[in-house]
Amino acid sequence: MSAPQVDRRSAPSRWTRRAIGLVGLLVLMIGLASCGDENLPLNTLDPQGPQAQEIQDLIIPVFIVAGIVFVLVEGAVLFLALRFRRRKHHEDGNDEPVQIHGNSRLEWTWTIGPAVILAVLAVFNIRTLWNLEDAQADATQHIEVVGQQWWWEFRYDVDNDGKFDIITANQMVMPTGVTIGLRIRSNDVIHSFWIPALNGKKDAVPGRIHGLAITADKPGIYQGQCTEYCGLSHGYMRMEVKALAPDDFDEWVDNQLEGPVEPADGSTAAEGKEVFFSTCASCHQINGYDASGESTGSDVPDDDYQGPEIPLLSDNAPNLTHLMSRDRFAGNMFPLWEPGAELDGVEPVGTPDAGEIARWLRDPPAMKPMNPDQNAGMPNLNLSQEQVEQLTAFLTTLK
Amino acid sequence: MALTARTPLELESGTSAPTSRPLGVFARPTATTGWKSWFFSVDHKKIGIMYGVGSFFFFLVGGVEALMIRAQLARPDGKLLSADLYNQVFTMHGVTMVFLVIMPMAAAFANYLLPLQIGARDVAFPRLNAFSFWAWLAGALYFNTSWFLGGGANGGWFNYAPNSGVLFSPGHGIDFYTTGLLITGIASTVSAVNLIVTVINMRAPGMTWFKMPVFTWMTTIVQFLLLFSLPVITVALFMLTFDRRFGSNFFNAALGGDPLLWQHLFWIFGHPEVYILILPAFGIASEVIPVFSRKPIFGYPFMVFSGIAIAFMGFGVWAHHMFASGIGPMSVMAFSLSTMFIAVPTGVKILNWLATMYGGRLWLTTAMLFAIGMVAMFTIGGLSGVTHAFAPADTQQTDTYYIVAHFHYVIFGGSVMGFFAGFYYWWPKVFGYSLRERAGKRNFWTIFVGFNLTFGPMHILGLQGMSRRIFTYSDNQGFNTWNLVASIGAFIIGIGTLMFLVNVWRSYREHKRNPVDPGPDPWDARSLEWMVQSPVPEHNFDEVPTVTEFDEYWHRKYGHDENGRLVRIADTEDVAQKGDATGVHLPSPSYWPLVLALGLPFIGYGVIYHLGWAVLGTILVLVGVYGWILEPSTDPDAGHHEVHDAHPAGDGSGAAAELESAAGEHETTAEAAEAERSTETEETPVG
Amino acid sequence: MADAAVLDGAGGHAAHDDHAHPTSTGISNEKLAMWIFLGSECLLFGGLISTYLLYKNRPGTVETLVASDGANAGTPVKISSLFDIPFTSVSTFVLLASSLTMVFAVTAAARRDLHRTRLWLCTTAALGAIFIGGQVYEFTIFIKEGMGFTTNVSSSSFFTLTGFHGVHVSIGILILLTVAALSLRPHPPRPESVEIVGLYWHFVDIIWIVIFTIIYLIP
Repeated sequence: MSAPQVDRRSAPSRWTRRAIGLVGLLVLMIGLASCGDENLPLNTLDPQGPQAQEIQDLIIPVFIVAGIVFVLVEGAVLFLALRFRRRKHHEDGNDEPVQIHGNSRLEWTWTIGPAVILAVLAVFNIRTLWNLEDAQADATQHIEVVGQQWWWEFRYDVDNDGKFDIITANQMVMPTGVTIGLRIRSNDVIHSFWIPALNGKKDAVPGRIHGLAITADKPGIYQGQCTEYCGLSHGYMRMEVKALAPDDFDEWVDNQLEGPVEPADGSTAAEGKEVFFSTCASCHQINGYDASGESTGSDVPDDDYQGPEIPLLSDNAPNLTHLMSRDRFAGNMFPLWEPGAELDGVEPVGTPDAGEIARWLRDPPAMKPMNPDQNAGMPNLNLSQEQVEQLTAFLTTLK
Repeated sequence: MALTARTPLELESGTSAPTSRPLGVFARPTATTGWKSWFFSVDHKKIGIMYGVGSFFFFLVGGVEALMIRAQLARPDGKLLSADLYNQVFTMHGVTMVFLVIMPMAAAFANYLLPLQIGARDVAFPRLNAFSFWAWLAGALYFNTSWFLGGGANGGWFNYAPNSGVLFSPGHGIDFYTTGLLITGIASTVSAVNLIVTVINMRAPGMTWFKMPVFTWMTTIVQFLLLFSLPVITVALFMLTFDRRFGSNFFNAALGGDPLLWQHLFWIFGHPEVYILILPAFGIASEVIPVFSRKPIFGYPFMVFSGIAIAFMGFGVWAHHMFASGIGPMSVMAFSLSTMFIAVPTGVKILNWLATMYGGRLWLTTAMLFAIGMVAMFTIGGLSGVTHAFAPADTQQTDTYYIVAHFHYVIFGGSVMGFFAGFYYWWPKVFGYSLRERAGKRNFWTIFVGFNLTFGPMHILGLQGMSRRIFTYSDNQGFNTWNLVASIGAFIIGIGTLMFLVNVWRSYREHKRNPVDPGPDPWDARSLEWMVQSPVPEHNFDEVPTVTEFDEYWHRKYGHDENGRLVRIADTEDVAQKGDATGVHLPSPSYWPLVLALGLPFIGYGVIYHLGWAVLGTILVLVGVYGWILEPSTDPDAGHHEVHDAHPAGDGSGAAAELESAAGEHETTAEAAEAERSTETEETPVG
Repeated sequence: MADAAVLDGAGGHAAHDDHAHPTSTGISNEKLAMWIFLGSECLLFGGLISTYLLYKNRPGTVETLVASDGANAGTPVKISSLFDIPFTSVSTFVLLASSLTMVFAVTAAARRDLHRTRLWLCTTAALGAIFIGGQVYEFTIFIKEGMGFTTNVSSSSFFTLTGFHGVHVSIGILILLTVAALSLRPHPPRPESVEIVGLYWHFVDIIWIVIFTIIYLIP
C-alpha cells in the first residue's frame, strides 16, 4: 500500500478555521437576507398586503425548521469530521473501528421523523394555498393584466360595462384595502406577473387567463419584474403597482377618464402632436383620437383602434393617454420625471425628464434591447432633432 | 446464456493468434496503440475515459460561459455582453452543463466502473457502448457548432414555448437545441439499455442484487430514469422541431396549441433528469465515505431503497416547476405534497452517510474531503429545495436567484463535488498514478470556498427579489454587493478548476520522472475494481471472482474479532489479481459505431438547412448499420453455439481465464438491429 | 436471484449454457435489451398519444375543414369525420395477421427451418408493407380533403402519432428483410434473433391496436 502523502499536521487547524469561517459566512448571509432593507424594492420578505403576509407566515416557520435542520446536519458533519479523524496511532491498522452495518430502528426513526415534521408543515402549506386561492373569489374589482414583449399593460373596466375605460402601461394603480382580482393574460410569449410585496407570481400564458388576488395595505409604490424568461429584453421588463387611498384612487380614475388636453395652437407641443399622428399613431393610441389625429369625441380607449399598421407580434403598443401620470416608461425602465419628483400621489409632481424621453425617441433600441426587425419592440424612427423636441413637448403634455 | 452474456468476446488479447481473419473492407480494426486504438475501441474503460475527457472539455466550455455570465452581472447595468448574447450564453451554459457535462461525466464513471464493480469483463454490448459515446460527442459538437452558424440557442435550457417558436426565435439556435438534444438523447437511451442489461445479466457469480455496490445501484437507477424519461422529451423535441421547421402549431396558442403542453412534457423528463444528475454523485459518495471511514456503508438496504424511492417519486413531482404556471390549485396541492415527501428518502441518504462516518477513522484525503463537502453542500441544496416545495412560498421564490442557488447547491455542490471526489478516488485505478494529495487539498478548499462565495449569496439575492435570466440589473435594486461577491467566487471556482488540471499535469510528470506504482488497492478499499491492477488490464479480471459478501474484496482482506473489530486476514498482494492472464477473448474494435454516430449530425444539419445533408446523414447511418451487421466476428468460435471449454474447476487456479464463447452472430444481428431501431425510430421522421 | 440457476436453461437457446451463472436471469442480453428498449418505446408512444388526446377536439382557428351539409353546415368539422373506419379496420386486420405470420417465422426458426423462416419473414414484411400502403393511401385522401399536417393541432397530432407508428412499422419491415437476407449467409442468425425481431414486431402491432382504438373507435 503506497498511499499518497497526507498533510496531517496542518489539516485539523485549517479545517477548524475554515469551517468556522464558513459557518460565520452563512449565518451572516442568512441574517442579511432576512432583514427588510428599504433599498430592496423587490424584497420577497417584506410583505405589504395580506396575501404576501400569508406567504410570509408560511415561509418563516419553514425557514426556521430548515435552519434548525441545517445547523444540526452541518454541525454533525463538522463534528464527525473532526472527532473521528484518523490519528497517528490509527495507521498500521491499530484500533480499527467497530464495523456497524446499520441500525434499523435508528434508520426508521430518521425516515419517519422527517416525514412527520413535513406532514405537520404540509397542513399549513395546504391552508395557505387555499387561502390564497379563496382570496380571488373575494375580489370585488378586477384589473386585466396583459404581458407582451417587453412591457405590461393594465386595463380597467370601471363602470362594469364590459368595455375597458382605462388602459395604461407599466404602472398599475389600485386602491388600498381592497382585494383586486387580476386577470393575467399574454399577447405573445409566457411572462410572469410579480409584485413581491403584494403576492407571489403568476404566469401570463397566451391563450389562458390566470387569476391572482392582490391587496395593498398602505399607499405606496411597489416594484415588480417579469419573472418568466420572455426573450431578448426580459431583463428590462419591469412594472410597478401604485396603491392609492380609495379617495385618491377615485380621483385618479376621474383624471384618467378625461380626454387629452389639446395643445395650444402654434406651440411646440402642437407641432409635436402632428409628428405624433404622422409617425407614432400607427402603433400608439391616445384615447379620443383616431389614428389620423381626428378627435373621436370619446374619452375611453377605442377597442377597434387600428393601431399597429405594422404586424406587431403582440398586436399592441402602449396606450400613451395620460402618459405623464405614470412614473416610468419602456417596461418601467426609464424615468419620466426628474429626480426629486413626488411620484406616489395621485399625479406625479415635479419636472418631466424631457432628456430621457428625447433620448428614447432618438434611438429606442439603443436604450433597451428590442427586435424591431422581427416586429417586437419600437424601431428607430430616425427622427430629426427638431421632431424629437416637438414630440417630447407634446408627450409631456399628456398628463 | 449467462456465460456468453458475461463476456461477449471475440478477439483475443493474449498471445494466441486468431484463427480466422477475414480481410477486405469489413475486416475489424486491430490497432492497440495510437488514435485508432481509441477511435475504434469498444473497451468500456477506454470509452469511459473518452467520456470523461469529453465531458471535462465541455465543463471548461460551460465554465467559460458561466464566467461570462458572472462578469456581466458583477456590476449593475453590465455592458460586457449584449442582451442577445447574454441570453445565448446562459442558455448554452445550462444545456452544456446538464447534457454535455454532468450526464456524460456520470456516463464516464458508469462505463468505467460498473462492469468492474459487478465483476464483468465489459458491458453487454460493447459496440453499442462505443456508439453511445460517439453519438453523444457528435451531438455535443454539433450543438456547439451553432456558435459559428448564427448564434447559440437563446430560449433557456427549459426552452419554454411559445418563445421557442420560430415566430419569436427565428434564428437557428433553437433548432440546434432540438436536434442536438435528440442526438444526445439517442446516445443516452442506447447507453441506458446497454448498462441495464449489463447489470441484470452480467454480474459475477454470487453478485446478487443486494451485494452490488451502492454506486452500481445508483447508476442502474439512473439508467432506468433515463430510459423512461428521455422518450417524453423526445416527443416534445420532435413536436417543437415540427413546429419550427414544418409549420405545425403544437405550441402556438393562437392556432389552438397549448404552451403548457411543452412545460408538462419537458418537466416529466426534466424532474427525473435532476435525479439523473445527482444520483451518480450519491453513488460516488457512498463508495468514498465508507472506504475512508474504514466502515461499511451504514444501512445499505436503506441506501438502496431510498434511491429507488427517489426514482419512483421523481416521476411524480414534475409540476412543482409549474406552481406559477396556472395549473390549478388541486394540481398545485398534489405536486406540492409529493415534492415535500421526496425529501424523506433524500434525507435518509444524508443521515446514513453521517452514520457511516460516526465512529470511523476518517482518513481525510482529497477524495474524502470532496465527498464530505458534497454531503454538506447537497444538504443545503436539499433544504432550500424543501422550502420551495411549499407552493405558496415557491410563488415568491421561483425564477429568482434563490432557485439558481438551490440547484447549483444540488448540481455543483452535489454532482460536481461528487465527481471531483470520484476523480481523486479512482484516478490511481484508471491511470496508474495518484494525484498529489497536498495540491488536491488546496484544490478542494479553493473550489469549496469559491463555490460558497458564488452560490451562497444567490440565496440572498433571490430572496431580495433578483430574477433569473435577466441580462442586467439596476443600481438602485440593492443587488450590487452580493452579485460582486458571487462573481468573485465564480472566478475562484475557475481557478480551482485550473488547479485540478495543473495537479493532473504535475502528478503525471512526477509519475513519468519517478514512477510510483499505486498498486491495485491504494486506499484499502472495498469493491471489486480494487482487486485488479492499476491501471485496469484490458481484460479486467484474470478470473471473474465469485462473490459471497457485500464489499466482497474487503471481506477477502478483513475479518472480525469477537468484539466486532477489524482483523486483517490477508495481504492485498495475496488477494489482488495479477493482471497477467493470457488468452482472454475480448470484443474486437469496430469502425461502425463511429460511422453510424457521424451520420446523426448530418441529419440534424439536414433538418435545419437543406435536406441533402439529411440524405448524406441517412446514408452514413445505413452504411454504419449494415457495416455493423456484416462485420465479421473475429472470434475463433464464431458460428458455433457450443461452449467447448471445461468449466474451470474450483476457483480456477490458473491464470488462464475461462475461454468463453460468444456466438458472434448474437451480437452482430441483435445488437445492430437494436442500434438501428434506436436511431432510426428517432431520426427518420426528421430526415 | 438465488433461483436464477433454475431459470437457466429455460431460456431456450441459452440452454447450451452449461456454465450456469448464479445471478444471470437466463434471458439472453439481446432479448433483455429488446424488452427494456420496448419499455422506453411505451413512454414514447405514451407521450404521443397524450398529445393526441389533448388536441383531438381542438379545431384551431385554421378552418379549412367545414361541414358541407346537415345542421352543422358551415362550421369547422373535427378531423374524425374524415376517418374511414372500415378501411382502417381492414389494414388493422392486415397488421394483426402479420403478427400471426411473425409467430410462424419464429416457430420455423426455432425448428431451424431456414427456408420457412425466410418465407414467413417475407410474408410478415409484405403484410407490413400493405399496412403502410394503406396508411399512405389514407394520408393522401386526408390531404386531398383539406386535412394536411399543418391544418390544425388535431391534424398535426394525428399525423405525428400515426406517422411515428408508420415509421416504426417501416423500420420493422427493413429489419425483417435484413434478417431474411442474413439467413442466406453461411452463418445464419440464431433462432433467437428472429424471436427478438418478433418481439419488436408484436410491440408495434399492439401499439397500433391502442392507437386504432383511441383514434378511430373512441368518439
